[in-house]
Amino acid sequence: MKIRIAGAATTEFGELWKTSPRELAREAITGALKDAGKKYDEIDALFVGNMLAGMLGNQANLGALFAEELGISVPAFRVEAACASGGLALHNAINSILAGQYKTVLVLGIEKMTDSSSDEVTAGLMAAGSDEERQAGLTFPGIYALMAQAYMDKYKVSEEVLASVSVKNHFHGSLNEKAQFRRLITVEDVMKSGRIADPLKLLDCSPISDGASAVIIEDENQKSSKPVFITASETASDTLSLHDRESFTTLSAVVRASRKAYEKTGIKPEDIDVAEIHDCFSIAEVIATEDLGFSKKGEGARDIQKGKRTIGKGKIITNPSGGLKACGHPVGATGIKQIVEITQQLRGQAGKRQVKDVKIGLTHNVGGSGSAAVIHILQN
Amino acid sequence: MVGIVGYGIYIPRYRIKVSEIAQMWQKDPNEILTGLKVLEKAVPASDEDAVTIGIEAGKRAFAMAGIIPSKIGCVYFGSESHPYAVNPSSTIAAEYLSIGNNYLAADLEFACKAATAGLQVSMSLIKSGQIDYGLVIGSDTAQGKPHDALEYTAASAGCAYILGDKKSEVIVNIIITSSFTSDTPDFWRRDGMRYPSHFGRFTGEPAYYNHVLSEARDLLSKSKFKPEDFDYCVFHMPNGKFPRVVAKKLGFSKEQLEPSLIVDRIGNPYSASSLSGFAAVLDIAKPKQKIFLVSYGSGAGSDGFIFETTENILKKKKGITVSKQIENKKYISYSTYLKHTHIL
Amino acid sequence: MITTPVKLWRRQKNIASLIGIEGKILNWTIIRVPARSFANQAPYPVVIIELKNKEKMVGQLVDWEKEDLRKGKKVIAVLRKSLPMDPESIIAYTLKFKPHEDH
Repeated sequence: MKIRIAGAATTEFGELWKTSPRELAREAITGALKDAGKKYDEIDALFVGNMLAGMLGNQANLGALFAEELGISVPAFRVEAACASGGLALHNAINSILAGQYKTVLVLGIEKMTDSSSDEVTAGLMAAGSDEERQAGLTFPGIYALMAQAYMDKYKVSEEVLASVSVKNHFHGSLNEKAQFRRLITVEDVMKSGRIADPLKLLDCSPISDGASAVIIEDENQKSSKPVFITASETASDTLSLHDRESFTTLSAVVRASRKAYEKTGIKPEDIDVAEIHDCFSIAEVIATEDLGFSKKGEGARDIQKGKRTIGKGKIITNPSGGLKACGHPVGATGIKQIVEITQQLRGQAGKRQVKDVKIGLTHNVGGSGSAAVIHILQN
Repeated sequence: MVGIVGYGIYIPRYRIKVSEIAQMWQKDPNEILTGLKVLEKAVPASDEDAVTIGIEAGKRAFAMAGIIPSKIGCVYFGSESHPYAVNPSSTIAAEYLSIGNNYLAADLEFACKAATAGLQVSMSLIKSGQIDYGLVIGSDTAQGKPHDALEYTAASAGCAYILGDKKSEVIVNIIITSSFTSDTPDFWRRDGMRYPSHFGRFTGEPAYYNHVLSEARDLLSKSKFKPEDFDYCVFHMPNGKFPRVVAKKLGFSKEQLEPSLIVDRIGNPYSASSLSGFAAVLDIAKPKQKIFLVSYGSGAGSDGFIFETTENILKKKKGITVSKQIENKKYISYSTYLKHTHIL
Repeated sequence: MITTPVKLWRRQKNIASLIGIEGKILNWTIIRVPARSFANQAPYPVVIIELKNKEKMVGQLVDWEKEDLRKGKKVIAVLRKSLPMDPESIIAYTLKFKPHEDH
């Protein structure tokens, strides 16, 4: 499979009080069109990834809404898979091109979270979990905290080692003008930050953010000056509840989806140069690097602590954008932002964040506590 | 003969000391302790109510009785802290106890004697052959108005009694029951008001004492028994003083009364008061022992019962005994008490 | 998350069958920043427990002490209210777990 990325752009991520969802979309879409050297009427279809607009903003019908922002009444779709909405929207867009239905497709990932109070957002995000989890009073930090405890007990990893994930991602974020947080933090900062759900602390958790990202994809036969291709797009699902799974220290959906991606492309984990990982919580990145095969089971956290995933120091660099922790996590936008980041890396356009000699990139987007996983492999 | 085939009691684990409450209002703790003869009272958790407590007690009663819940033919739930003003506690309890749909049901209210009234109704339904088994629950999360005298004693607990008439199942027979009732406004709560009101010393002689003593004397004369014929006696316990005075006046000894005096350690759980004292006695009773019980509900009335244990009392498996639950406790401060009782 | 009367009613039989079920704690966390519908209750523990038949459940732990939060601690399922309550709406009863004393 070879899908060409014609254009890619993202807004800044953060608490964008003054910017409405429509304005966010317009900025991302305009940026992607400009990057692609295309006009509005060259788009055949629009896919939108978003999770919370209905619950928090009382707005459904997002396909039509953002097609209106695009300025033309093209076929428009909204795809939702909690925090994997962006990645899954791209997966569906790719399928529509492979099916021969459309030639040039715009994929928009967008989320506006700061219009609601944080306890409303916490409740809204729990829509990604199960009824039983909600009844139990769990929050997403709580669900991942349960995973963190299981992981830390099993592999004898301390909270200090886990803290190195956020430290690395803040370092990367400091190099990214679009990131929500650009300040450096230390392990001590993480350890001192307030507890959210034991053992996870404030600085172990990704923030509440606004933002939008967009990519324009085409089948490989369209002309383009900056060739970056998506060579794999795989997804898998798993149980809604964490406790219904066999293991709390691995996301089987990630293992299955990435395995399919590796098999179809013939690429091995060690061939990956750079990856954007879904670090909604520090433990999520640790488990992901193991599930994706970058680190051996139980060594993910220590590898990150040793600098193996850091720009300028390591080999398979993870979250050069700053990840969800430092770049920000407007839920529906993240999956597309990850694609934008890897595209820029593969084009050599990542500025201070540029990883050297990048040939193969991977994005890892997860919904809920692992109930949905979407993996993309990109190459130049 | 109709009797009890199983019982269960649940006392919430939190306690607040009477001295802690006294200190809040800068009263001399010793004065309160001597006057009321109550050391501490049981406080429910923030997420407990009369229904959840009643269900816990009900589960324990079924574990002892060993009968299938769907055999229950009537459910009466007595409380003065029903969670809803309109929506029956009896059906919520019945549903979560898996009783099915074929049962008579109603919620009862008669201050602290709602559940003993329920015993009388259930007993009559079984006696008349209308049903085989009945469930009676008395449960309360009594609210004491801050700074009021009743704050020291208004407590929380739940009791469940399952009645039947199969000789092989009954652990204690109901020999006789009667009531002494009048319209005496000693203690009341208006609709919509959070706390009850009372008329101080009027709740003593003309109310509690008059009804308990009158019923007790009527029952003794009707049954031709004398106080010495009983192994145990149980009276409604609004505080530690009243039941001791009444027992003495009637001619019962300290030893006969002592095992039932749970009020000293858990306070007054209203509809579960006399029935918890009764459960404490049943926990230690032997076969062929007679028990004298008179409850009291403000407004006012007293239900009197003469019980006699059977051979089966030692055969049925006892759940967590009253004395064990009294010991299983965690003390809380006055501010935590306010959180638990939803004032904060 | 407001439980509607219909949802509460539909869940009854399932919850009724689970009251009194025993299990052991596998993992636990303490929620300190709750979702809106659990405001005022934090901090409270949430536990994943394993039943005797190896099935797993998740629920709030009540009547707890710090020492109860350990792998292997025995718990029992009880019915409690779901807080906080809106004064006009239906009372939602839900399954929670509490430390189990052996008797």
